[in-house]
Amino acid sequence: MALLQIAEPGQSTVPHEHRLAVGIDLGTTNSLVATVKSGLSETLNDANGHDILPSVVSYQEQGVLVGGDAKAFAISDPENTIVSAKRLIGRSLTDIKNKYHSLPYQFCGDENHPSFVTRSGKINPVQVSAEILKNLSQRAQEALGGELTGVVITVPAYFDDAQRQSTKDAATLAGVNVLRLLNEPTAAAVAYGLDNTQEGQQEGIIAVYDLGGGTFDISILRLNKGVFEVLATGGDSALGGDDFDVALVDYLIEQANLQRPLSPSMERQLLDQACKAKEALTLADSHQVSLSLADGGEWLGQLDKSTFEQLIKPLVAKTLRACRRALKDAEIEVCAINEVVMVGGSTRVPLVRSETEKYFDRKPLTSIDPDKVVAIGAAIQADILAGNKPDNEMLLLDVIPLSLGLETMGGLVEKVISRNTTIPVAKAQEFTTFKDGQTAMAIHVLQGERELVDDCRSLARFELRGIPAMTAGAAHIRVTFKVDADGLLAVSAMEKSSGVESSIEVKPSFGLAEHEIAEMLKASMNNAEEDMQARMLKEQQVEAARVIESVQSALAMDSHLLSEQENTDITQAISELAKISQGSIVNDIEKTIEKLNHHTASFAEKRMDASIRKALAGQTVDDI
Amino acid sequence: MNYFEMFGLEEKFAVDTQQLAERFQTIQKTVHPDRFAHASSQEQLLAVKKSTVVNDAYQTLKKPLKRAEYMLTLRGVEMPSEQMTIGDNAFLMRQMELREMLEDVKFSDDVDAAVFEATQILDMEFEQLSKAMQLALFENSESSNLKACEDVRKLKFYQKLHLELERLEEQLFDD
Repeated sequence: MALLQIAEPGQSTVPHEHRLAVGIDLGTTNSLVATVKSGLSETLNDANGHDILPSVVSYQEQGVLVGGDAKAFAISDPENTIVSAKRLIGRSLTDIKNKYHSLPYQFCGDENHPSFVTRSGKINPVQVSAEILKNLSQRAQEALGGELTGVVITVPAYFDDAQRQSTKDAATLAGVNVLRLLNEPTAAAVAYGLDNTQEGQQEGIIAVYDLGGGTFDISILRLNKGVFEVLATGGDSALGGDDFDVALVDYLIEQANLQRPLSPSMERQLLDQACKAKEALTLADSHQVSLSLADGGEWLGQLDKSTFEQLIKPLVAKTLRACRRALKDAEIEVCAINEVVMVGGSTRVPLVRSETEKYFDRKPLTSIDPDKVVAIGAAIQADILAGNKPDNEMLLLDVIPLSLGLETMGGLVEKVISRNTTIPVAKAQEFTTFKDGQTAMAIHVLQGERELVDDCRSLARFELRGIPAMTAGAAHIRVTFKVDADGLLAVSAMEKSSGVESSIEVKPSFGLAEHEIAEMLKASMNNAEEDMQARMLKEQQVEAARVIESVQSALAMDSHLLSEQENTDITQAISELAKISQGSIVNDIEKTIEKLNHHTASFAEKRMDASIRKALAGQTVDDI
Repeated sequence: MNYFEMFGLEEKFAVDTQQLAERFQTIQKTVHPDRFAHASSQEQLLAVKKSTVVNDAYQTLKKPLKRAEYMLTLRGVEMPSEQMTIGDNAFLMRQMELREMLEDVKFSDDVDAAVFEATQILDMEFEQLSKAMQLALFENSESSNLKACEDVRKLKFYQKLHLELERLEEQLFDD
């Protein structure tokens, strides 16, 4: 007698195709793309055999250049060659000018939406990042021989909401489907964590020290049976190896008796030499710096390791202060840390290694290339999110890095969600009116740890209108914050006593509004209208296919949860959608998806509740 | 389904936090949005919703004061708003004394010792009050529940003092 086959819960009986998915490390200095091939995560090379793509975009007569080709223009044409755009993404003009006084670009645009003036017109940092993402996703499609289902893009754990949103906008502009924004240190932990599992080590506390070109992150994670739980994260989204270079440049200017302002190409040359010196001093004890001066002469100077270390010591100390705070937030003592993982090219600097080793009292792990480890981890996550490993037990539980709050009377910030809260999360806070007969309320959303509005980052401003006129203090306005698994915030508000949900207008303080992205997308296409239409049709067809597949596999497993009528309704809605999605009317496809969704709403909920019960049932048996 | 039922736990104050953490992870493995990243938008939205509730449930049951507050809510006792004053004069006097004690820490000759001592005093009084609160919760009568509610509010004062002490410590020992 033939045995009946029973599938694992969550596992479809139909063998599905392998979906192409990649992880992209969108770095300040360098970017990489990686994928999982026959169980191994590896970086993908370009046509010249290089996996590292310098994060440089140059706007030249012949077109847009990305990577090494663009970098070649950094000194000769600095105004049109954007280096380290990640440091500028989601930032205001004042932020940028205060922090980086010697950038060779010409800025334009308003305070909260700075752009560069280039020979291709006004370009903003989101567009620059989009060029890098486009380049890497093209490379991946060529290497893998097909279209990508989706990508995981890594961001510094300490990126705020504006910086995360801008990164996601860049992906939209580049036309890539984002499966998840993943925190860089968490990605590194995944790369190492799975490595360790093979050695039988599945539990413990890991500290990830991630010093990149422009950002610093520290994350404390607990690893337990495939679950990576971030306990706390901290850092500085404007501190990295680039700052070592800047400190060196200031020193060189003083030594060479140069006066600022210097020409953009002189500034670029100084940065270049500083970076070379920094790299040379990783191995050597001293290094000769040579500068070609404006008058045609040459300046030569000797730089020794101890001078360099003296210059960067305060910066390294700053990273260790962040480590201390993160440990405190995680309620973990230094001695409880089982492993310290080093990530980011800047952890090659010997002083960084020796100081972290001293602080954590433990030799840091460096077995995976610190430049590649983030991309490798991101690829592992992408493979799972794309659905290629339905039986995988891995789960990442991440947190928000900075508290979210609202402005209250007197310019103070009332925290709604505190830092290091596990995401996704939703919290509501109630407010009331200040004056009799007040019918509108300004809602100002902020991010940061300080008490004063001026010391926090402004994320958005709303106005809630149509509050019924009442005496001061009688209205109940409920403001809800929702943070999704990408760490992105959405805010809504309603007046409770009247029961009427008032609409709100969202004006992001930074970054781009949705219609601006749509316009840029159009502008980047040759036949704007048609291309946009084609793209929207494609998106809806992909969604339709996804819905059909998931409902069918749900029916195959759990149709017993449905009545006969419900079963018939759903089956009919599926065939209707299958037919309509062959057509080319975007609106119709959208409506038919909605219709099917409507029929399956309670089914989906029932299934999820049943899966929770099933999972717990297994656990309770284990406990006995 | 209340939060205790969600994790298959008995509705009482003493919670095995290890077990709670394990069940939390087990449930998140089935509902987290990462499990549905390739699924339809409907399932993705549902997963975000469920996962959010599970996170909230976990945080509520994990932290003792929140757990007590939640148990009282289930019993129909609502916490008065934080602006409402506490009627217990002796308690308020004690709070003022403790606040003065914290003020004095930074002027102490031996700051380390002063911080250590203040921490011990706060911890001890918190523990005492916490035990009383747990007894009242256990009794579960109308009057004892009201008392537990009052105790929880008092414990929150201690929590605030503790935070202030930590902030002070950070200021004193930074750099």
